Amino acid sequence: MKLWQAIKMAFKAIASNKMRAFLTMLGIIIGVLSVTVLIAIGQGSTVQITERITALGTNIITVQNRAVRQVRLELKDLESLRGKGAVNCVAPLITSSMTLKAGTNTYTAQVQGTTEGYDIIRGYGIQRGRFITASDVHGRSYVCVVGVTVADELFGQRNVVGEKIRINGMQYSIVGLFEEMGTDVGASQDECVAIPFTNAQRSFRNTAITTFYANAYGEEYVDQAVKTLEAFMLDKTGNEEYYAVTSQTQLLESMAEVSNTLSLMLGGIAAISLLVGGIGIMNIMLVSVSERTREIGIRKAIGARRTDIMMQFIIEAIVLSVFGGLVGILLAWFSCTTIAPRIGVAMVMSSQVAFLALLFSVFIGVLFGSYPAAKASRLLPIDALRYE
Amino acid sequence: MSLIKLTGITKRYRMGDETVFALDHVSMAVEPSEFVAIVGPSGSGKSTLMNIIGCLDAPDEGEYILDGENVSALPDRELAILRNRKIGFVFQHFNLLGKLSAFENVELPLIYQGVRSASRKEMVTEVMEKVGLTARLKHRPNQLSGGQQQRVAIARALVTRPSLILADEPTGNLDSKSGREVMDTFHHLHKMGNTILLITHNNRIAAEAQRMLSIQDGKVTCPEDYLSMEREAERRQTSGTDKEVRGA
Repeated sequence: MKLWQAIKMAFKAIASNKMRAFLTMLGIIIGVLSVTVLIAIGQGSTVQITERITALGTNIITVQNRAVRQVRLELKDLESLRGKGAVNCVAPLITSSMTLKAGTNTYTAQVQGTTEGYDIIRGYGIQRGRFITASDVHGRSYVCVVGVTVADELFGQRNVVGEKIRINGMQYSIVGLFEEMGTDVGASQDECVAIPFTNAQRSFRNTAITTFYANAYGEEYVDQAVKTLEAFMLDKTGNEEYYAVTSQTQLLESMAEVSNTLSLMLGGIAAISLLVGGIGIMNIMLVSVSERTREIGIRKAIGARRTDIMMQFIIEAIVLSVFGGLVGILLAWFSCTTIAPRIGVAMVMSSQVAFLALLFSVFIGVLFGSYPAAKASRLLPIDALRYE
Repeated sequence: MSLIKLTGITKRYRMGDETVFALDHVSMAVEPSEFVAIVGPSGSGKSTLMNIIGCLDAPDEGEYILDGENVSALPDRELAILRNRKIGFVFQHFNLLGKLSAFENVELPLIYQGVRSASRKEMVTEVMEKVGLTARLKHRPNQLSGGQQQRVAIARALVTRPSLILADEPTGNLDSKSGREVMDTFHHLHKMGNTILLITHNNRIAAEAQRMLSIQDGKVTCPEDYLSMEREAERRQTSGTDKEVRGA
């Protein structure tokens, strides 16, 4: 018998019991739908995270000193790193939350003690005035650069360069205003005030450098710069456990890894429902075989071989599962393109996953169809004919 | 050469501890273009004989030669091919597939044979003309009368141009008029040169055949013996009823 005939026969058998076929397929539909949708959600969040981190700039290297008690980093250590190897700018960062005053207005903001170059490393723009300079740091000038929210809250306007504010009782003059960043990229500079590192050390009563930032001469030299910084830190601390040098790319990679693992896990859980759907197919096929015992007998009497009967039932199972798989993929596609944007969930459906899900449903059809099909093919024609 | 030659065919069944002979060293032959009836009461072993002749079942002992081929030793797959090409079955219960139309039912053996769609259509149309059902091609079995269903079944048996048409009680489920039609179809087919083996318990129908064999307790005997046995059985039955009446 030709394969095409067997497929036509399977369609006829399925069409003659549509409700049952639909219910059987439902398991596969739900299985494929949940696998593709969950993986799409996982991949959607990977893309989202990657986008956000990339928006922060990929040429940022963070160095952490984990052993502040044993190893002291000084400002001049960092200055010696500037221009070394692929390292371009280096800037320490210490922060503290403090209350700012201008006249009668007060506002609690994060005060950042840093040096020149910090704005370059982090990619912060200055819309008015200037950033902190080397001479501000060395001369301990009482100058600051404020974010837009700080300006709005304290002065109700943004033309603030030259104004004076009090930070922790000391008077600072504003020399610059950061560009507005908005809040969608995580921590925003809008609510911060930057002051020279040396002043911050005194003001915060904290002289230890626990974190500093650096960048490379270009994106392509980041790895090289990381090596230079690692060598420096190893030399300084003498122990690999005492420091951590992380580039944004590394962060990106580990974030992507986490969310990939997550989407795999979700997909795996959903795959269980696909398996349950497969068992549903087997169940119905077994019922169908015993219901159609007489039919099998008749077919055998008029010349169907065992392989013909086997093929008929296996193809029926495959048609059911592939059809279910297709409907599932279609529904998944629908929810990715139509539902997801409306409820604000990022979903990225890849054709690869859809193809794999379909392949998996064919596999399920074969796997769970073959036992009932073998059972049908083994029926003896006389027993099958006698069956009422 | 005989179309069918059975030599010492034996089939046993175990019923609990007892072994029952469904067929006990049956030997018989059917010549090409013959119309033979095998008659016997239920339980006589005629269904078993039919299953063996129809290659649906294998004998425990003996040799069966169909169209020059020793069937008793063939594997499952070969038997299926043999059933498909050499034997046309007509059953008491018609055994049509309820979800297929008359046309599709008749077409089925050709599908298993791997015949192309165009020639299938031609062959089915031709055979449906022979049984006079050209107007009913698209009907499902449940939209046809019993006689029409049986004629569809005959068409299905004929469509592969088999060497042998094997009919098991073909009129058993029909009223006398439809039964008559079916028997007329068989006579017509016989005249056209088909070999027909008819299995029945009805003597009147069996008598229409060219030759009649009877089967009793798994043994094929000559018809006269069978007739006398049946008369004997009938007498016993009537006297039994009498007793019951008296007892009541």
